[in-house]
Amino acid sequence: MRRIAILIALMVASGLVANRALAVLQSHPTAAALVSSTSPQVRLPGTIYVSQEGAIYAISGSEVRRLALPSGGDWTQPRVLADGSLLVVRRFDAYSDLYHVSTAGRVLSRMTSDDPATSNQTLQLDHWVLWPAISPDGTAVFFATDAPKPAPKQSYEVDFSLWSAPLSAAFTIGGSGVNGGTRWSVPDLYTGGDIEPMPLPNGSLLYSSYANTGKGTVVTVIGLQTNPNSAMRALTTPQQDCGAPSVAPDGVTLAMVCTNSGQTANLEVATLEGNALGTPRVVVANCLCNAPSWSPTGDNLLYMNAADTNGNFGLWYIAHAGGTHPGAARRVTDSSVDLDATSAATWSSR
Amino acid sequence: MRRRRASLRSGRQRAARGSFVVAGFLVSIITGVLLYFLPAIQVALRDTGQVNTSLGGSAQLKPVSASEHLSATAPFTLLLLGSDSDSKFKGAFLTQSMILTRVDPATKHVTMLSIPRDLWVRLCTGSNGKIDQAFLHGGAQCAIQTVERDLRVHVDYYAWIGLQGLVSVINELGGVNVVANNPVMDDYYPADLSGGNPFDYQRILVLPGAQHMSGTLALEYVRARHDDAYGDFARSQRQQQILIALRAKTKHISLADIPSLATSLGSDFQTDMSIGQLSGLLPIAGSVPLASITQVVLLPPYTISQYLGGQAVLMPDWSLIRPEVAKYFTAAS
Repeated sequence: MRRIAILIALMVASGLVANRALAVLQSHPTAAALVSSTSPQVRLPGTIYVSQEGAIYAISGSEVRRLALPSGGDWTQPRVLADGSLLVVRRFDAYSDLYHVSTAGRVLSRMTSDDPATSNQTLQLDHWVLWPAISPDGTAVFFATDAPKPAPKQSYEVDFSLWSAPLSAAFTIGGSGVNGGTRWSVPDLYTGGDIEPMPLPNGSLLYSSYANTGKGTVVTVIGLQTNPNSAMRALTTPQQDCGAPSVAPDGVTLAMVCTNSGQTANLEVATLEGNALGTPRVVVANCLCNAPSWSPTGDNLLYMNAADTNGNFGLWYIAHAGGTHPGAARRVTDSSVDLDATSAATWSSR
Repeated sequence: MRRRRASLRSGRQRAARGSFVVAGFLVSIITGVLLYFLPAIQVALRDTGQVNTSLGGSAQLKPVSASEHLSATAPFTLLLLGSDSDSKFKGAFLTQSMILTRVDPATKHVTMLSIPRDLWVRLCTGSNGKIDQAFLHGGAQCAIQTVERDLRVHVDYYAWIGLQGLVSVINELGGVNVVANNPVMDDYYPADLSGGNPFDYQRILVLPGAQHMSGTLALEYVRARHDDAYGDFARSQRQQQILIALRAKTKHISLADIPSLATSLGSDFQTDMSIGQLSGLLPIAGSVPLASITQVVLLPPYTISQYLGGQAVLMPDWSLIRPEVAKYFTAAS
């Protein structure tokens, strides 16, 4: 009797084992690890700030810490100021704001209030502010915002324009534009507009500009303006479909991502020659690359790439990327980490 | 002699006991496997071509025939349908997305042709209307008949997915990696999945460039259209992008993933393919290289925007569309 009971128990167990064995065979995607729970694969000098799941992390050598920013919204697109503090975008579902924060994550000031919908119940009055960039002299902040735009219910139009504003003074974003700011660009309507401003030491502005080809596609070119009122000069062709520009501190070495209108990209480096661009050099081909950014010394390039089989976007690094003999691409973050690929890393020498 | 008979009898008893034990283990293992695949079996019975059910609408048209096995070499045509399946529509849906897909397993080539939802056609009901209404009037059968008759192609299978189904399946696969073409912005995006008033709006923004998209973000990317120079055409191109990204994910799916995928799809998925055919599709999809995917969108001059009876429609130029379609798809018999 006891033997039969054992046999029946074994039979039931075999069914359970078969069931669980199938569950083990599932290719369930594992949740990405937080960058703070892993160790960097490459130890780089200074501090690199990245964004993951709405938080900002500081990578210093082998240490990774999370900035103690207030909860609520997604913190993204950090930019280091000369004193080491940061400008960071705080993004909510319907709007975003720009904040000045300390390296610990303490809010020093809230620079915009882009959610008038809370008081007047009209969602379309909200605004986005994104891609902050500090002028090389440290006096102004450049950014993209969906202002001006038509009054609610008048039009579907909502596109990014580029603006600058003094870092030391307050500015407000409204339906007619940025009060206290200077408008730099007028977008091609219904394309997404102009984004990713890169102020240059000579006072010019480089950026990604989206344009309607008139042939069923919207493409991006790297545009250059010498002043707020000048016309944009395209430095790349619509066929190259280049965006995400990042200029090294030398003011002439440019990294950008070009898709050639495809579903993969090339990470390319070129040199600005006056108001033109030299022949680009592909440093990483056929990648899922985004958001390049340079080291404070300008010789090392960071970028986001999903090069692992798990598809996670990691932080990658190429030494001497602007030179004739760049180093091999190396992953900085652990392969289990999935960073916000639309948020460029920012590298502080401190 | 007696001892030999006793020995034979005891041998038979041992064999019978052994058979019983083996059968017991087999039954237990099969039960375990069946329980594992129970969600897939339920979906197979309810939503796939395992049994012949008609979907949506009231017209009872010809049943969709589905051969039992996908050939490893013969090309086939699949009509992919996507609907806003939120509570606004009370179970009768328009198709916001129609993508006619030809898969050639032998050459590993895929062609995707997006049929604009506003295309003004003769519907299966005999009346004229936008092609997105075919599904509303007669379910998948009517959508297939309309496409077959107007585009003069043969459709082998269909697959329909609702909004929540798309979100869930992408989340179940761990998201998709996409190179977003441009900033996708919409201040009048329908807020119909949050459970509140389905006629409310929300603001959405999808940033450009390579990124990892969750199901919700991917849905926003394929559904937004208001601030877009090409409106529904651009949306069609983005829908094809997400399909291509999903294709990359199928490389990592095994048969063991089918139950959880079936659970995630819930009632937001219907097809006339059997579970066996669906699982046979996965390795084919995963083996198609990116360069072997042809994407077709019927931009002007194939279609011309017009207002007809107060509604925006796209008038087809069949003299251009049909030869273009014939390049890629098998003609209807």
